[in-house]
Amino acid sequence: MSRMDVRVVREKIEHINALPTIPKVLNKLLAVIENPGVSLNEISSFISGDPALTTKVLRMVNSPVYGFPGRISSVNQAVILLGLTVVKGLLLGVSVFDLMQKTMIGLWEHSIGTAIFSRIIALKTGHGEPDEVSVNGLLHDIGKVFLVLQFPDEYSRALTDSQEAGLIIHAAEKNRFNTTHASVGSWMAKKWRFPANLTDVIEYHHKPHLTRSTPVESSIVHLADILVRARGYGFPGDGLMPPVRPEAWELLGLTERAVVEIFKEAEDSLQITEDLTL
Amino acid sequence: MSKVTPGSLEPGMKTAKPVVNTSGMVLLGENTELTTELIDRIRNMDVDGVYVHGSSKPPVPIETLLADLDNRFRLVCDAPYMDIIKNAIRKHVEGLYE
Repeated sequence: MSRMDVRVVREKIEHINALPTIPKVLNKLLAVIENPGVSLNEISSFISGDPALTTKVLRMVNSPVYGFPGRISSVNQAVILLGLTVVKGLLLGVSVFDLMQKTMIGLWEHSIGTAIFSRIIALKTGHGEPDEVSVNGLLHDIGKVFLVLQFPDEYSRALTDSQEAGLIIHAAEKNRFNTTHASVGSWMAKKWRFPANLTDVIEYHHKPHLTRSTPVESSIVHLADILVRARGYGFPGDGLMPPVRPEAWELLGLTERAVVEIFKEAEDSLQITEDLTL
Repeated sequence: MSKVTPGSLEPGMKTAKPVVNTSGMVLLGENTELTTELIDRIRNMDVDGVYVHGSSKPPVPIETLLADLDNRFRLVCDAPYMDIIKNAIRKHVEGLYE
């Protein structure tokens, strides 16, 4: 088996906008998000102008991915409470929901589970922006969607390799594509001008010790990914456990007891989100 | 805890969260035992689903879950800190079955 040329992979991935399967709303949304000067008002109007999008945003915002005790009933309220960065991430999450469901069974559940764990770990370690970290968790595996969309047969083989050889999916990806979903995700994140921290976490969630911009956030999502796999919730491409990076574990400073508490707090949210469709 | 459709409610079930209608209005408090009358009323109102204590799925034997766990961790048992994580999830799973 020969590895693909990574330049070919990158070229095809970066032309993904041309794929008919990319929903129109995503393209419109990207235009809104890409604009660095966009205001909360403009985003609010954009969402409110699309009833289907409004419903999805409200469902998402009232889910355990965000920890709002009260019910948020208006787009304006959601946008003001969450702030620009988090809303952008939420919109991305809502738009890729369909794509995720179509490209890999269990990926959406894995992603939402990672969002939930990310949020809880962020709160437990005193991070100031748990909602932002939650969104990082939600979108960390978005690169897999792009790979499956552009290279469905190759990815299918990578999934088989993973199962037969007992490889974590990103190792199987590396063998086939000469790159992984982390890099692929970050190419698109940069192209589509995702918020900077989100882009960084997408790139470094498997190697959090290597980022200089988001060591804490990347470590949180890195651990969240591991915990959601340990819990057996969703399907990220394999049924294995990647080892935790010691630097990430030490940075977060959690004890066994704290992790048990995290699992306990996540349990209810995971049950509620099992039914979450957008 | 699990979410049950109004049609599947049975007397004796206990609410795990407040019962709300589709407009978000609270109709019934949490930790309330459901009687036939209450269930009838819930069925006549605009309720999506009701959270009740306990699992609606046939319980997976704990041995199966723990075996899955061992299998999942089999390649990383010796990696630093993975024993802590494995112990934690094990304790959590055991806690779910108490």
